Amino acid sequence: MALEARGVTIRFGGVVAVNGLDLDVRQGEIVALIGPNGAGKTTFINCVSGAYVPQSGRVTWKGGDILGLTPNALGQRGVSRTFQNVASLHDLTVLDIVRLGRSLGRGRTERRSLGLFTTRDPLAEELTETLLAPLGLADARHRPIQMLSYGHRKAVDLARAIAAEPELLLLDEPVAGLSSREAHELADVIRGVRERHGCTILMVEHKMDVVNRTCDRIVVMAAGSRIFDGSSDEVQVDPEVRRVYLGEP
Amino acid sequence: MTYILQLVTAGLAVGSVYALIAIGIVLIYKCSGVVNFAQGAFVMMGAYLTFAASRLGLPPVLAVTLALVLMAGIGVLAERVVLRPMLKAPVVAVMMVTLGMLIMIRASCLAVWGPDPLAFPRIFPDGALELFGVFITYNYLTAGVLSILLSLGFLGFYRFTAVGLMQRCAADNPRAALAIGIHTSNQVSLAWAMSAGLAGVGGTLLATLNGLSLGLADIGLIAFPVIVLGGLTSLGGALVAGLLLGLLQSFTDGLLSPMIEDLLRAHTRIYSVGALQQVVPYALLVAVLLLRPQGIFGRKGSERL
Repeated sequence: MALEARGVTIRFGGVVAVNGLDLDVRQGEIVALIGPNGAGKTTFINCVSGAYVPQSGRVTWKGGDILGLTPNALGQRGVSRTFQNVASLHDLTVLDIVRLGRSLGRGRTERRSLGLFTTRDPLAEELTETLLAPLGLADARHRPIQMLSYGHRKAVDLARAIAAEPELLLLDEPVAGLSSREAHELADVIRGVRERHGCTILMVEHKMDVVNRTCDRIVVMAAGSRIFDGSSDEVQVDPEVRRVYLGEP
Repeated sequence: MTYILQLVTAGLAVGSVYALIAIGIVLIYKCSGVVNFAQGAFVMMGAYLTFAASRLGLPPVLAVTLALVLMAGIGVLAERVVLRPMLKAPVVAVMMVTLGMLIMIRASCLAVWGPDPLAFPRIFPDGALELFGVFITYNYLTAGVLSILLSLGFLGFYRFTAVGLMQRCAADNPRAALAIGIHTSNQVSLAWAMSAGLAGVGGTLLATLNGLSLGLADIGLIAFPVIVLGGLTSLGGALVAGLLLGLLQSFTDGLLSPMIEDLLRAHTRIYSVGALQQVVPYALLVAVLLLRPQGIFGRKGSERL
């Protein structure tokens, strides 16, 4: 197993946000983590990415324990993530954000030693073009990120995470705020990233059409626990999932 | 006309050094949120260290380089030992600590080198260059050109390199920077190192123009009107404002003061307006704070002093 979580539990005061969660993701697999609001999906991603340290449990990536590592240390192990809420950055342009991803990725040391210390980075420019052109943002590379819509800022955040050339990509609602057409374009980009780099992807997402289009497997969470693990065909007929999502008896 | 050009060159030379020092203050503020009142002390100490290195027999270039490196180390030390433990302290407490650093560094220099002004070793050649009838001493010329080149080089570093990009991100939103994997505490240390190093070089350049004394630390007080004018968070603004202030001081000293004195002599018994050029920066500071609190290049509503 590439990513392995065992018994991850995190509480905030009296609220158990994630409750003994076990989750496996195989190398090169795209897994969607879905569930109602408050199910603990983002909290779990935050545990894996070092933002939170759970009270108990274990998370390993390629056999090495990654729980409690800083985002910087995780970056060096090939782990990159996007955020549900994109932070305010006033001074940076779209291209700056993508270049940041390149600068923080695993290959940064090699890139610097090769004299690519400057931000003149053809790959960053190419990624900006590939990822953002379908969203009509091809000309926006020098535009301040703050001037973009929420959805487009999230797309730039995705471009930053991909620019790091990660082995494990954690995506938190990557297509939120985008139109249906744009969401499908980005879903194809995400699959393309897996095909191109062979990276493993764990993705929190609400839009089921995007999940079905992108993911190999679906894990459903409710009240901090895993209630389903299977294919997109199976999830639609699973009685427990229908009860949680649709309120069926 | 020649006289005006003379004032312009002198103003730009001094103003560029102000800019260099002010850029250091802005950098620290952007990266760590600290208004560093000790910047003037860094300026003074840099000059004294260059002086000490020259006395050891080092050639000028090596002496300045050594002072720069030592000042960068002192900047890191100040951040790690003094400022970092105060990360969650109230802003006023942090400002008081930087004031304390100013007093400590000044007292240390007083103890080692004494209170009297010292003859600063000659770094640039004697003589002057004549350009369109204007005589510019090599001291002024080199100090001005070096300061502008260093300032532009620094702005270029900040704008075009990967580390500069990380610095900008860490300065813009430290929490977001940390979340995406930037080692923000290292970036803050680097900012202090660069800021103190720049101040040290600025101090050396000022000492070549005005001589070496403890009074060099007062430059920190002039740098504050510069950053208020330029906008507390704008590095480019600090450069432009530094040059503007240098010009303003030069014209006040060379044109405005004599005109006012002539007027006063004609109508009153007052014969001198004193060092009016030293008042100008603060008059400007008050005017800017009243009319445009965010400075010329600052973002509206982002920082108001």
